[in-house]
Amino acid sequence: MIEVQGLSKSFGKIKAVQNLSFSASNGQITGLLGPNGAGKSTTLRMLYTLLKPDSGLARIDGFDVTQSPIDVQARIGVLSDAQGIYERLTARENIRYFGKLHGLRGQKLEKRMDELLIILDMQSIANRKMEGFSTGEQLKVAIARALVHDPGNVLLDEPTNGLDVKSTRAMRQFIRKLRDDGKCILLTSHIMQEVAALCDQIIIISNGIVAAQGTSDELLHKTGKDNLEDAFIEIIGSEDGLA
Amino acid sequence: MKQIWIIFEKEVLDGIRDTRSWVTGLLGALIGPILLGVMLVVVGSSMREDIDKSLTLPVQNPEYAPSLMQFLERYDVIIAPAPADPETAVKLGDVDVVLVIPKEFGEDFSSSKPATIQLVLDSSRQSAAVNITRVQKLLEGYNMYTGKLRLVVRGFSPEVIEVISIDKVDVATPETRAMIVISMLPYFIIVVIFTGALPIIIDSTAGERERKSLEPLLINPAPRRAFVLGKLLSAFPFSIASLAIVLIGFGVAINVIPIEKYLGIQFGLSLMTLFWIFLICLPMVFFASAIQILVASFARTTKEAGTYLPFIALIPALPGMALAFFPVKATMWLMLIPTFGQQLLINQMMRLEPINAWHVIASVLATILVATIFTWLATILYKRERILFR
Repeated sequence: MIEVQGLSKSFGKIKAVQNLSFSASNGQITGLLGPNGAGKSTTLRMLYTLLKPDSGLARIDGFDVTQSPIDVQARIGVLSDAQGIYERLTARENIRYFGKLHGLRGQKLEKRMDELLIILDMQSIANRKMEGFSTGEQLKVAIARALVHDPGNVLLDEPTNGLDVKSTRAMRQFIRKLRDDGKCILLTSHIMQEVAALCDQIIIISNGIVAAQGTSDELLHKTGKDNLEDAFIEIIGSEDGLA
Repeated sequence: MKQIWIIFEKEVLDGIRDTRSWVTGLLGALIGPILLGVMLVVVGSSMREDIDKSLTLPVQNPEYAPSLMQFLERYDVIIAPAPADPETAVKLGDVDVVLVIPKEFGEDFSSSKPATIQLVLDSSRQSAAVNITRVQKLLEGYNMYTGKLRLVVRGFSPEVIEVISIDKVDVATPETRAMIVISMLPYFIIVVIFTGALPIIIDSTAGERERKSLEPLLINPAPRRAFVLGKLLSAFPFSIASLAIVLIGFGVAINVIPIEKYLGIQFGLSLMTLFWIFLICLPMVFFASAIQILVASFARTTKEAGTYLPFIALIPALPGMALAFFPVKATMWLMLIPTFGQQLLINQMMRLEPINAWHVIASVLATILVATIFTWLATILYKRERILFR
């Protein structure tokens, strides 16, 4: 469960996020849609505690991101834009490192890793050093280590960015599976089709503020358009930066 | 606490897998001992070589100066025929020095005028210095000897031309003379403590930023200081290993090379001395790692960090270089300067001078204090958003 109230963040004179409010419930996929530079990543970074909001509140499962960052970190799994892995370690060692940092130990940790390796179909590469892994393989490791502690909330920053068609489909299926497991999922995207295909709730951000919010049907109804693309453009007021 | 250990464990494993870096580092640690060994052999042999052997001196026209030749032969000089072109031969290093006696020598000598002789030498050639000095001394000796004889013949006491008599009292024992060479040693030890930690520090700080793994790492539920401390501690084993290797290297070099033969002195680094040096250097491992973590955390790429860090290793090592030429007395105030205090202590230990226990305590505490401050600053740096996003 993620709640955001009046969240703002500026970098110098640039107001990246202004007075942003929304909430994302468990068992739902919530999408932050907006053109490049709309403040999606900044919002996510505040939620995963690496940026401090200038004002406003953000809570995850009731824990404030600035007051109790460590409680928040224990309850989120994050796939950020930065997905660097340790090339000299094997896939398993990479995942185990994050698992241990989340306080998992011994049999429990190994069992959880086996589970993830099966779900992500990566048993065959698990014990190889990651040097020379393909982008898709690296992504799988990044996902596995983000979810190793089985978090209730999953934050994904442009999760299908740079993936081929096959991997994109697999990723979407995986996200739906997480939703069906009852997780609260918040993802950002600048791709309308993706958001339309995946999200139960869509929050459209433009220039750091919420431009519109609702299910895709509600958005169509609100704008009086008969397809999402026109509805988005109507809401944002321009076609810049959308795909 | 647990998290610090987890991070430490991972960084050490990652560091060990980076075989090339640490092998290069450990081999680099041996440069000092190898250099010292070579220096001892070279310096020693040019200082001592041939001093007991008879000297072969090429002389052009020895027949013009028979009494000089007799004098030289009496002092164990073998007169050899001169090369056709003495200047070229000396320039090329075929011979160290050539004595040329002009035709007029005999005439001038007989009429008691200053008779000119020519000594062809290359003063820039270190290896010839011993032989040149020896020939010059002998010629001066001949000059005095003949001069005095002439005074006696004329009825003067030879003492009238001795205005002063120089009596040299050299306080440098053979050991202290050799120390000029040996006192390069602290310099190498300190550099190695820094460079041993360098690869893993660059990789775990700037490298982590460069390969974009820092952001996912910092999302993990641990206080920022745990990350800094884990990374800091992971540099220790590498730094300590380098320190051990450089000390073993020096120990072997000094104990294996027959220093007595080369320098004519007794000198040894005992196991006990090496062990004490090792202990005194341990706080410097902390210091070197902390200052390097701090500086490397400013760097965004490994390349950037790789340009800053070697300078850091140089700065504290410079006083050590200076110590080789300007000996400094150990005082309490100097002990408070991290790395400098240790250098003075190492020097004292090698000279087998008594060590003031308070000096050791002051040096250890001051170094740990400054290193703690650096660590604290690095933690502050890691708490800022700018460590990730600029």
